[in-house]
Amino acid sequence: MNTNNSGIEIRLPDLGEIDEVRVVQWLVEIGATLAEDDDLLEVETEKTTFVVPAPIAGQLSEIVAAEGSMVKQGGVLGRIRQHA
Amino acid sequence: MAGSGSTRRPALHLPLGRAEYGEALELQRALHARRKTGAIPDTVITVEHDPVITFGRSSSREHLLVSSQELEREGVALFEVERGGGITYHGPGQLVVYPIVDLREHGRDVKRFVGRLEDATIATLADFKIASGRRDGYPGVWVAQRKIASIGVYVRGWVSRHGLALNVAVNQAHFAMINPCGLSVQMVSACDLSDQPIALEQVQRVFLDRISERFGWRLEEASLPETLGDENE
Repeated sequence: MNTNNSGIEIRLPDLGEIDEVRVVQWLVEIGATLAEDDDLLEVETEKTTFVVPAPIAGQLSEIVAAEGSMVKQGGVLGRIRQHA
Repeated sequence: MAGSGSTRRPALHLPLGRAEYGEALELQRALHARRKTGAIPDTVITVEHDPVITFGRSSSREHLLVSSQELEREGVALFEVERGGGITYHGPGQLVVYPIVDLREHGRDVKRFVGRLEDATIATLADFKIASGRRDGYPGVWVAQRKIASIGVYVRGWVSRHGLALNVAVNQAHFAMINPCGLSVQMVSACDLSDQPIALEQVQRVFLDRISERFGWRLEEASLPETLGDENE
């Protein structure tokens, strides 16, 4: 399942034919209130910085992929808790 | 590859000529916002920058090999920006291309996007009888072990900015100020590889044709007020 107590998984979107990306920086902190499509974090691949948007509105509850870590296509970046 | 001219999508070419880096950066950000809302179609900015060194998201300060005093003496500006990649030099004699492109209309594929920029560059250089290619794992365009074009892109909301810098006739001494991308690579200009003189305008004209083929554009030259909209006129 893609939900647990700490929220819904934020996965690396499909960026096309790439193997993995490096997490450059998170643009929001844990606990931040987010609207859908708000900027969440920057990842880098192929000399390209890609800004990953929030998949849903809610509160950032967990950062799974720390800055500097490598994440595969579809990998979990963090979690968002939806508003009740 | 794109089809015939009649099926191509309209896109804009905004030639800035010679411009300061900061000025072009602001313009890119403004056009990026307008591309996101669909106010403008895909737009290609071309520019030749005053000497500047920029740091991308993978840069390390150690890759700058000169002091700030030396930069000042040489009249070289310094910027830290959001694009991917490492340290890069821009200056006179270099064709800089900033494609403001909605990747959702081009297959939502970051690697393919970068690949098209590289392909257009390789095809352009071939027109000047210069054989260049890619190096696996090292984005950019290479002539053997030397780098002739650098790439650094930023994508937000699936719309790109920043782009590509192709060395046509760059002051080689200025390249010595940086360790490009931390690779200790040597940079080379098209002029150094050709018996004939090569003008930047010539290279730009060919490049615009080659990139239009790859993205399926029918490019039309636009002015600043046209691309920025009424409120900025």
